[in-house]
Amino acid sequence: MSDWTRDRQRDASSSEPDRRNIGPSRWSHCRKRGIDGSLRTSEADGGDLKGVGQTGSRHLDSRHASFTTPEGTGPVSRCGRQADWGSQVEDDEMRRDVHRDMQRRRILGAEVTQRERKTSSGSSGSCDSREGENMETDEAVLLRRQKQINYGKNTLAYDRYIKEVPKHMRQPGIHPKTPNKFRKYSRRSWDQQIKLWKVKLHAWDPPREDGKDKALDNIEELDLNDVMDIELDFPTLTDSQSAPASLTTHSFLVEDEECLGTPVKVQKTEEPTAEPDMA
Amino acid sequence: MLPSIMENSTDDYRIQSFDQDTQMLLKTALKDPSSVNLEKVSNIIVDQSLKDQVFSKEAGRICYTIVQAEAKQSNGNVFRRNLLNRLQQEFKDREETRGRSLQEWVCFVTFICNIFDYLKVNNTPMVALVHPVYDCLMRLAQPDALMNEEEVDCLVLQLHRIGEQLEKVNNQRMDELFFLLRDGFLLQEGLGSMARLLLLEILEFRAGGWMLSSTAHKYYYSEISD
Repeated sequence: MSDWTRDRQRDASSSEPDRRNIGPSRWSHCRKRGIDGSLRTSEADGGDLKGVGQTGSRHLDSRHASFTTPEGTGPVSRCGRQADWGSQVEDDEMRRDVHRDMQRRRILGAEVTQRERKTSSGSSGSCDSREGENMETDEAVLLRRQKQINYGKNTLAYDRYIKEVPKHMRQPGIHPKTPNKFRKYSRRSWDQQIKLWKVKLHAWDPPREDGKDKALDNIEELDLNDVMDIELDFPTLTDSQSAPASLTTHSFLVEDEECLGTPVKVQKTEEPTAEPDMA
Repeated sequence: MLPSIMENSTDDYRIQSFDQDTQMLLKTALKDPSSVNLEKVSNIIVDQSLKDQVFSKEAGRICYTIVQAEAKQSNGNVFRRNLLNRLQQEFKDREETRGRSLQEWVCFVTFICNIFDYLKVNNTPMVALVHPVYDCLMRLAQPDALMNEEEVDCLVLQLHRIGEQLEKVNNQRMDELFFLLRDGFLLQEGLGSMARLLLLEILEFRAGGWMLSSTAHKYYYSEISD
């Protein structure tokens, strides 16, 4: 299975060579290697399993409590596969969900394109997720994007948002919209969209006791200079509440990974300033 | 809600062996998962499964229900994640467990197989459990284990329950397992007669496509009439 191959490749580049499963065994060609490398042979059962029986491994990106629904275990490393069964099953589940999404997208492709055309910012169609043409189909990319989306959706803010604003009441520009993982975007563009989406979601964070608007705290974390080649599919341009309208949709050169050429006018992310009104 | 009503509805979960407080906790977990400490609940269930043979055979069911309830209520995964990671820990220590207590080892195998049976992801078995389950069954098919009737009994019980599913997800390992079983049947010195009977039956069972022909069934399961 490709899962295991990927696992072995990752572990090959890990910094813990002493934990390798030394020596060939019957199943080594299809064996999952745990972090302690001991999933098969009983004699290699030494070493500790990360995150087993506890609330998962702690990672550098600590998040506020409001970022996670009571799943409890907190953030999991976004890079590299976890060896604990809990994570493996979740990853497996996500993979299946993404595949199902892809199938659905292929079948419903034409219909979706019609709807999305209405809300797109007048693109030439190069970023439509019309079946077969410009749909993102790379599994690794889709999985990564889905994971990022899941992180955003597994928040109290998101829960409150969807309860408060049913889909048909959503107004483009005001209400955050989940980025469409099936569209072709550059890595950078996608990552920025996710960032902005999550920033917007903060407007629905549960109120803090000290009355301080948490949304503002998180805005400061964003390096606004990085907010450059964003491809927005909601037209904030025409939004009456967007204060400095110096937003430029860096149009559809987003296929470039690097931001080359003329620097884009930096968006002063008018959304955050608007958010306190909505909080 | 009348206590008797709740009793009936949770009969299937075989939680009678727990004390009253724990039973209450489990029942609450089934109905309102986010109101309880799910990590604690999963530990209680795992601990009991390792001690109680009856419970270990059916614990998968209650686990499944709690997983579903939590997913529906809060889209959470706490229970399942903790359950699986506890299982993983027990799996890692299985040889030591077996050395300490055959009963606990057998309970563990029964439990993990039951979880494999019940906890599916989109109606397919959890991939993460396939090899561990096979590892456990292979261990039971080793010569030293075949000498213990309770281990043979456990082995054939699991194969009856999940053999077909296991074979579907990994045919090759099932073949390997059955090489061991044939060898055990034919070559194992000092094998008990009950063990031989169980092995013969399971060999026939798989050969028949995971079911016994009616004549074989008659042979193995009918009362001997005088």
